[in-house]
This record gives sequence, C-alpha cells and structure tokens, in this order.
Amino acid sequence: MSNQNPFIKEVIKDSLLSIGEEMFIALARTSMSPIIYEVLDYACGLTDHKGNLISQGNGVTSFIGMLSPMVKSVIEKFNNGEYLKEGDIIIINDPFVGGGSHLSDVGLVLPIFHEGKLIAFSANKGHWTDVGGKDAGSITSNSTEIYQEGLQLSGVKLFNAGKLNQAVHDIIRDNIRLPEYSIGDMWAQVASLKTGEKRFKELCQIQGTALVQEVLDDLIKSSEDYSSKILKELPKGTFEAEDIIEGDPRFGGPYNIKVKVLITDNEFICDFRGSHPQVQVPMNCSYYGLMASVRVMYLAILRPKFNITEGLFKPLQIITDRKSILSAERPAPVSLNFEARIGGAELIWKALSPHIPDRLSAGHSLSVCTVTLDGKMPNNNESFLIVEPSAGGWGAMNNADGQNGQFCMGNGETYNVPIEVAENKYGVEITEYSLRNDPAGAGQYNGGRGVQRSYKALTDKQFISASFGRHSTPPWGMNSGDAGATSYITIDRTSGETDGPYGVLNRLSLQKGDIVNLVTPTGGGYGNPKKRNKELVEKDVKNGFFTLEEAKKIFDYKE
Amino acid sequence: MRTTTDIGGTFTDLVYLNESGDIEFNKSDSTPPNFETGIMEVLKKSKITLDDISMFIHGSTVVINTLTERTGAKVGLITTKGTRDVLEIARGNRPDLYNFRYQKPKPFVERYLRLEVDERLNHRGEVLRPIILKEIDAIIETFKKENVESIAISFLHSYKNPVHEIAVKNYIKSIDENISVTASHELIKEWREYERTNTTVLNAYVQPVTKKYINNLELELSKVTQTKNKYVMQSNGGLTSFADSKEYPIHMVESGPVAGVYGSQLLGELINEPNVIAFDVGGTTAKCSLITNSEVKITTEYYIEKSEKTSGYPIKVPVVDIVEIGNGGGSIAWIDELGSLKVGPKSAGSTPGPLSYGKGGKNITTTDANLYIGRLSDKNFSNDVDHDALKKAISEQVAKPFNSSTEDAALGIIEIANSNMLNALKLISVRKGYNPQDFTMIAFGGGGPIHAAQLARDLRMKKVVIPIAASVFSAWGMLMSDIRKDFIQTNLIPLKNVTEMTMDDNWKRIELEATEEFKKNHFDNIPIELHRSVDMRYKGQEHTVHLKIDNQNWTNNFLKDLREKFHKEHEFAYNFKLDEAEIELVNIHLTAFGKIEKPSIKKIDQLDDPIEERALIEVRKVYYRNDNWQDTKVFRRESLGYKDQISGPAIIEEKTTSTLVLKDQLAEIDAYGNIIIEVDVDNNE
Repeated sequence: MSNQNPFIKEVIKDSLLSIGEEMFIALARTSMSPIIYEVLDYACGLTDHKGNLISQGNGVTSFIGMLSPMVKSVIEKFNNGEYLKEGDIIIINDPFVGGGSHLSDVGLVLPIFHEGKLIAFSANKGHWTDVGGKDAGSITSNSTEIYQEGLQLSGVKLFNAGKLNQAVHDIIRDNIRLPEYSIGDMWAQVASLKTGEKRFKELCQIQGTALVQEVLDDLIKSSEDYSSKILKELPKGTFEAEDIIEGDPRFGGPYNIKVKVLITDNEFICDFRGSHPQVQVPMNCSYYGLMASVRVMYLAILRPKFNITEGLFKPLQIITDRKSILSAERPAPVSLNFEARIGGAELIWKALSPHIPDRLSAGHSLSVCTVTLDGKMPNNNESFLIVEPSAGGWGAMNNADGQNGQFCMGNGETYNVPIEVAENKYGVEITEYSLRNDPAGAGQYNGGRGVQRSYKALTDKQFISASFGRHSTPPWGMNSGDAGATSYITIDRTSGETDGPYGVLNRLSLQKGDIVNLVTPTGGGYGNPKKRNKELVEKDVKNGFFTLEEAKKIFDYKE
Repeated sequence: MRTTTDIGGTFTDLVYLNESGDIEFNKSDSTPPNFETGIMEVLKKSKITLDDISMFIHGSTVVINTLTERTGAKVGLITTKGTRDVLEIARGNRPDLYNFRYQKPKPFVERYLRLEVDERLNHRGEVLRPIILKEIDAIIETFKKENVESIAISFLHSYKNPVHEIAVKNYIKSIDENISVTASHELIKEWREYERTNTTVLNAYVQPVTKKYINNLELELSKVTQTKNKYVMQSNGGLTSFADSKEYPIHMVESGPVAGVYGSQLLGELINEPNVIAFDVGGTTAKCSLITNSEVKITTEYYIEKSEKTSGYPIKVPVVDIVEIGNGGGSIAWIDELGSLKVGPKSAGSTPGPLSYGKGGKNITTTDANLYIGRLSDKNFSNDVDHDALKKAISEQVAKPFNSSTEDAALGIIEIANSNMLNALKLISVRKGYNPQDFTMIAFGGGGPIHAAQLARDLRMKKVVIPIAASVFSAWGMLMSDIRKDFIQTNLIPLKNVTEMTMDDNWKRIELEATEEFKKNHFDNIPIELHRSVDMRYKGQEHTVHLKIDNQNWTNNFLKDLREKFHKEHEFAYNFKLDEAEIELVNIHLTAFGKIEKPSIKKIDQLDDPIEERALIEVRKVYYRNDNWQDTKVFRRESLGYKDQISGPAIIEEKTTSTLVLKDQLAEIDAYGNIIIEVDVDNNE
C-alpha cells in the first residue's frame, strides 16, 4: 500500500461506481424515446485515459462489452488522443470499428480533462428510434449492404472544444425519421456524459488525481486477479458446440456457426473459425459485436459480484475467420446483428453448460425477437412507431424450472411496454399477453414458457417487421430434458384466413382488424421428465401448462 | 392525552405526551398473530390513565411483515381476458444482468387462481365488450373450492373507467357480504396494468390479517377509552380511520418510517427551516428524504424487496419519497472478493447484535467501530463490554488485511458506512438538482446523531438539528400528524387541448370524491384543506415533473403560467428544456388534509450554573482522522439548557443516542431543547 490510509481508496471506489449509476439514471430520466426510457436499451460508463472500462451503468448486457472498444477506437482515430480537446464530444455508430453492433446504437464519447491533462473518458451508447436508412426504425431484415441501414458515423466531433458542431447536428437531423426523438435522446446522452465528467472532476479535486489514478489501476488489477482465480476453478480442456443462425428462409440460410472453447489456467479462448462466411442479408455481426456478446457470456460464467472492469477480460481471447458471419466486414449488412452475436455467444453456453451445470442452464429463447410496427392512430391520423424486443422462455437449471417470460441474454434491465401505455400511444389493441401452454421444454425441471403477444391493428395500412430467432430449431434441452418450443408469428386476417407461420417479417401490411400473434420460444428442460416431482407435475396440470393426458405421456404421471 | 403505538417486528412501542408536555415512552413484546395483545400490554405497563387518552394513533409493520414473511391470505385474481399472466410476466426484466440463473420474484397468486372474464374497455375508457356478470359465478365457485380467502379484481383501463370493476365487486358482495374483495381502481387511478394489478393483489393478500387485528384492537380499546379519535398512520405521512385501514391496508406498508420525515417537516416549520434533509439511522438501515418549502415529497414508485439483484414487487400507492439503504448501527463490516472493505447491508440485527453487546455476535459492526474509537461510551451499554475481544476482532477482521492500525481500521469502517450514507443523501439531493447547502439536516434515530456532523460537513451543509428525544423522533412525528388522503388520476391530454371547463369539471369531480371519502370516514367535523398538483411532461417523454398549483380555474392566463412553470421545473430537474415541444398533462393529484389540533410544544429554561458543573460527564479520548486521539468533553443532554453552547470536538449523550460535534463546529441548544450544530464548511478536509 503506497498510501497511509487504505480506506480512502475504498471511498473512491464507491464514488466511481455511483458515477456510472448516476449517468445511467440521468439518461433515462431525460430521454424522449420509449426504447431508452422503457426498454433501457442503453449503457453509460467511465473508462481510464486508455479506454479501459472502470465503471458502468447498464440497461442491457451487450453494451458492457461495447463502451471500451468504442473509446479505444476514438483514441486511435484522434491520433492516440492527441487531437482530443476539453469540451469535445465524439459521436460514433460504425459497427466495423470499436464497439459496433448496428447503426441504431449510437455512442457518444467525452474525454475528461483535469488541469489540462486527459485523465478519463465518459461514454454512453443508446438505441435510437431511427438513424435513417431504407426502413422506418432503421431495423431491416432484407438489406444487402450497410448503406441501406442508415447514417454511418465513424467517430466525428459533435462538440468541438465545447461548441456544438452545427453541421454534424443538421446532417444527422435531416437524415433520420422522427428527429425530435433521436435528437432529444442525443441531448439526453450529452447531459449524462457531462454529469459523469462533472462528478469525476469533483472526485479528482477532493481526493487528488494521483490517488484516483491509483485506484483506477487497482480496480483493473484486482478484477484481473479475480478472473484468474475463477479460471482455476473451471474444468480445463477443449469444448465444442455447433448451431445455426436461422435467418429469413426466403432469402437463404440457415447458416452454420461453431465454436471451440479452450480453457487453461490463464486463458479462455473462443475459436469461431469454420463458421459460415458473411452473407448479403443483415444477419451478420462485426467482430466487435461478437466480442460484446462473448464478454457477456464470459461474465455469466465468471459471475463476479462486484463492479465490472476491463481487468476481468484479460484472459479472454476471440478468434474468427475474416469476413465470417460472426466477423463481417464492410459493406456487409448488420441490422439484425444480434442474431449472430448472441447466437455465437450462446454456442459457448451450449459447449460448457454440461460441464458447469451449477453456473449455467439449458438453452433459452436466444433471440431478441424484435418487432417494428408503424402506422396511423385511429383518431387523429398521427403516425406511431413501435420498436421493441419480446420476452421469451429461459432454460431449466439443475435445481429449478426455467423462467417464464423474460428478455433474452442480450437484454437485461429491459422492460416490456405495458398494455395500457401501448394502447394509449399506438394504434393497436393488445388482445392477448400470456404464457404459452404447449407441451414443450419438459424435464425434471421444466423450461420457462415463451410468451404470446397479439396486436390488433386499429387502422388500415399498418406495417410490421419482425425477426424471431429459434423459429426452426427450438432451445436445446440438457441432461435428457426435452427441447423447448420454436417461435412463430401468425396473422389472423379479418377474412378468417391465417397467414404464416413466419419467423421473419419484412414490412408485411396489416389492415384494420387484422391480428398479428407474436409467439416467442419456450426454453429447454433439464433432466429426464419422468423424474419430475409428482406434486410439481400436478401443479403444472392445474396451472394449465400441460393437460392431464400430456402429463401422463411426458412425465409418466399416474393419478 | 395523545398516544401513539407502533407495532414492530420485535417490540410494540408506546410514545405519549404527558401532562407537562414531555415525551415519554415504553415498550413491550410484539405478540403475533394477536397483535392487539401487545398494544394493550404496553398501555397497561405505562403510567397512562387510560380514560385520559384523547387521541390514539397507531402505526405498524404488520403489513410489511405479512408481505415479507409470506403469511397473508390465499388470493384469487379476476382479470381481463388475455391478461391473466400479466402478473407473472411482470416487466420481463433481469436486474442481475450477468446472472443467467436469475429467478424472477414469484407472483403472489398462482396461475390457476388467476381467472379471466370476457370484458374490455379501450384506453379512453369506452366499453368495447360489456361484462357478463354470470361469468363471475363459475369463478366464485372455483375460488370457493380452492379455499380462496381474499379476491382481487383488476381490469384493463379501469383507471380511466372503473365501471366493470365496480359491477363485479358489487356482484360478489351481493353473493357474500363478508368476503374480502379489492378492486384496483379503489387503490390506484394510474395506468400500467402490472403495477396496478400487483398492488391490488398485495392489498388483498394482507387485508384479512390486518382486518382481524384492527377489529380486535378496536374492541379492546373500546373497553378502556371512549375516544373517537382513533387513527392509523399511512405511508403518505398522514392519518386515516381504522375503518379505512381495514379496507386498504396496503396504504400502511411504510407506516413507521415516514412519520420521522413528516416530523422533520413539522419541526422545520417550527424552527423556521423550510428546506430540510431528514436523516434517520436505525439498527439495520439509514433512511433519508428531502423536504422543500415545508413540503414532504410523495411518490408512487415504491417497491418491496427490490435490489440490484432482484426486481421486487411494485406497490403503486402514495408513499413518502424515502431512500433507504442497508446501513445502520448493526451493519456488519466485511471484505469482498476483490479485497475491498464493505459495510452492510447485512446486519447483526438485535440478536446477536453487535459484538460489543456480548450476546454472541462475532462480526464487527458500525456500532462496535464507534465504541472502539470513543464516540460511544460503554457506560451506555446494558452489558459489560469485553474490550479485549473487541480489539482483537477489529484487528483480525479489518486491520490486518489492510495492514493498518486498529483505530484506523475502526475509523475506516465508519468512513465506509458514511460513504454509503453519503451516496444515499446525494441521491435525494444533488442528483435531483438540489444543492445540499440550501438545506438543514435533521438527524434522528439511534444512529443519526453520531454520523450527522461528518456527513453534513462532506455535503457542505450549514446546519444540523438533533431534535429532542432523537431516538423516538418518528413517534413524535406521528403524534403531530394530520389526516391525509391522496387522489391521483391519470388524465392524459395535450396541454393545448385542455379547456377551462373540462379541467374545472375534473377537479370538481375529484374534490367531490375527497369530501365524500372524508364523510365516509366520519371526518366531517374536521376542517379539510385541499391542495392541487399535477404531473406533466414533454410529449413522448416518460418521466414527469410534479408541480404544485393553486386552486383556481384553468383560464388562459393560468395555462400560460403553468407552461412557464413546467419548462422551469423541467430544466431544474433535468438540465434542459424544450421550448418548442408539446406538453402533456399526465396526472392530476389532489391531496386532502384534515387538520387536527396539535398539542403545544414545550420550551425549556435557560440555566444559570456553569455548564461544565451541571452537564459534563467526563473527558475521554476519541480518535479522529488527521488528529489522532484527542481529549473530548462528553456532556449529558438532559442537563443542558436553552442557549447553552458547546464547541467541538465534543459528544452529547442521552439515554438512547449520542451526538458527535466535530472540531470547528459549534452546538447550541435552542428554546425547544434541540441541538443546533453550526457546521464550519471552511474546514472541510
């Protein structure tokens, strides 16, 4: 210990943590878009002056791995940070440089200076309602190049030494739909960054920059030590898994992906070589997208109970082929990148779960199950736009049933939109929001139930796009547990006909009275269903999840 | 005579004002499930002549304990077709982000008891499909078969139009008058079906238990006192009738802690401090709340069992806006997996309690650390403290791992605890745009007075007030409470579409509702005060700004002022305003106060003889950051008089708490016996 009072450092650590949280709260409270304030599809954090993650407030998991590469790419682009000035704010959404998922996720980076010296960064990234491109909401399932997906910002100065760069601002505003939302969010992001900056500088003033710097290094070092400690507890060797990314069957796919995980005493290597080459549909993810999701998976295995910093990721290595579906390069389209990056990350889950059943579970819904629906309101003819993920079922564990109706691993502190709020804001009626009843995911512990959400269009000419993964292969069961149930989308037309089932929709039109049923996957079961506790089976039947006949057949239930 | 009784998990407390205006208190064991027995016992134990009780105010943790211990009734839920799983899907979130084995909180009603009826309203409250009451018969049949003890009804958009909920409730009551039924609109008229349904279910869950003990309490009380002035403390910081609390017990969920906040507001008014931070440290938690312009903040975003690790259960009734953290006197110091020192939220509780209580506690707590460095005295402990064991434990558990001295380790524990409390205090102030320098801290509870001076210094606050009888200050707040009812109605409309006539109608309707509620509760003879406020936002935004408004017509001028006020408030709270953006009205909020006559507050005398002769207990060594061990004068609070002054460093001890005054701070006793500490901000370390 270099300092005579070790406890001051503890107080600084506490303060750093609360800065990340405060930035997070500030953004939610000032945002104008439901995707931010209801779905919390954003993250805020601090890095050290080299871009190493120090503290972060999160709404969704994937962003945890995106902030530091984003800051690092800004440092690189601005000549190792030399061209950054106090008061600068850089805007960046390019998926192919650091921190990119898709263009809709827009990042802002603010270099923090204290006494003339660059000492840290505050950064955040949020899902904008629209960033331009060919389809409303900037989410598309049939783009062939990234140029169709929206405005690309590779890291440009939105603020230059404290002054708004009006040209950049206007270019953005003029190239996106519903600019009042996204520009409003941009301001909310700016306010949150400034809050982080202010608090960090206050901390330096009170405690001294040198001591704060020392604490930053300590934090990274101690979490690095923690990760090597946990690695020693994990089984060693090579573990493999394969799966597919389904894509839209009308345009190609499915695409094979595979992983080889090598765990040693000080390495955790994920080798994705041999996965499908990049494709001309937006199912690809960039290397940074994959990395973000793999980091989430890695954290789920390590399960640290403390604030996450860069040090934890030291042992993690990711290897891919160039231009693969898991590591695509420009001009590959990446709008639906979450299917590939979460798919890639979940391979690690599938490979390791049988060997560490106390840390993981059977397969879950996997897919974000995004829905984009636009049209006019019934009374005033105003436009509305829904952009939302859907909750699905999670896999069973070695000691408990899977969770019913919960957002996938790529989400997190993600909230659904209440029916009453949705019906006020959107031209729809929600006729059903319930758990599935089909006999899937059975096991000694059952998989969690997928969810049905049904929208009835209240006006003509509404358009729906959706990407529901696991529509052809269900979430996997484990240790003799049954697989879960696949997702599907159907449309009950007023004519009495039913469209579908589909897994992916691209701007399918709905007329007044049509009902679209969005049904998410049920998670996989754990253990042989015949071993399920009799009282639990009786409860399953009573609760309507299985019929008596199904229970007899699947669980060997005897009255 | 005014009395309050407060049922806690372990003890039932009695606090009353005696003839000379002094506060006295007594306690007795709580007696679940027959809680009324404990109350009657503590009354008998005290010196009160029961005939003399002129007002009986009751608070309790029965509701929150019934919820957390899961000892409530079996509930059946009736809900709109297509929505029975809303209670289980909840919001679908996973706060423990990287825990892929996360388990959602289990709903209080299992799926087979969540039954649907084919009725539907739209978001304007218009009936799309009328209710067919015959459907209810089969549901009641099922509930009977399954031994359901309490029924919750929650239909979509009932906050806008409760017609179907009312019809179903009346129908059920017509079949069986005694069955417990809660309809969602009776509790909440705000949107969001999951939150409203969950609140309704939790009310139904605690209703039979609460009703039974309040009925028994009423019966027992009627045998000893004739007073009609019997009230129950609610979470909104106000009182209601026994009858009301039996129907809607969920309003009592935070009945204890909020009284201290209300007391702080009242004390603030008395000593001319309209802007107050109320700060309460007990055995397991610290709580704080912000009061501006003598107004207690109310929120409907309240949860139980919510943490960073779990989403908890929302209860959408008006609750005083309190931030509570797991840091109190009994909070345990520990070292996390990265080697960082932490304090709380785990607590040693009352058994075994802190190590120095000698009841088998092995862990070092904040109280132990305060004792070790001399801030507390072992003479105020009821046992003989084993100082060797204390030193050894601090040394082994904290000092050695950090390679520090024992006293630095003890101070380190206090500093970590302070840091946690500081974060909570910042959460309610700085983070919401308030400057702590504009506020006075009122610190109470067993632990508040020992931590207040340092925290106020860190926040650069100018003044700290330690009220008289600081450890039972919450009860004092309860003794001074008014009747209070909040009526919140979601009324979503763009401000540009608002007309004077419709708004005046809306206010009239809600005011009528308020006066009828008062009548129903037999509060007719109590003067009623109506306060209006609104929640507004920029269109598209989720979060609202709460604005207090005058009781006047919504003329064009009024609307113009309202707009300006909104922009200003928004900028204050969120650092920006959008002059061009459309503004929406979201909720109208009416608060009805029934003003109850207050007892006068006693003043204390100035004492002539020298303070050191009459009040100095001892001079003892206390350990401080930078100054090491310093001789510190210790005074007896009971012996202090009006205008007495004490310079820090000093400690002022009373029966159940101790006040720390730091170097360069000055404590003065005011006319009511409060300790007023002037915090010298220039010496901030």
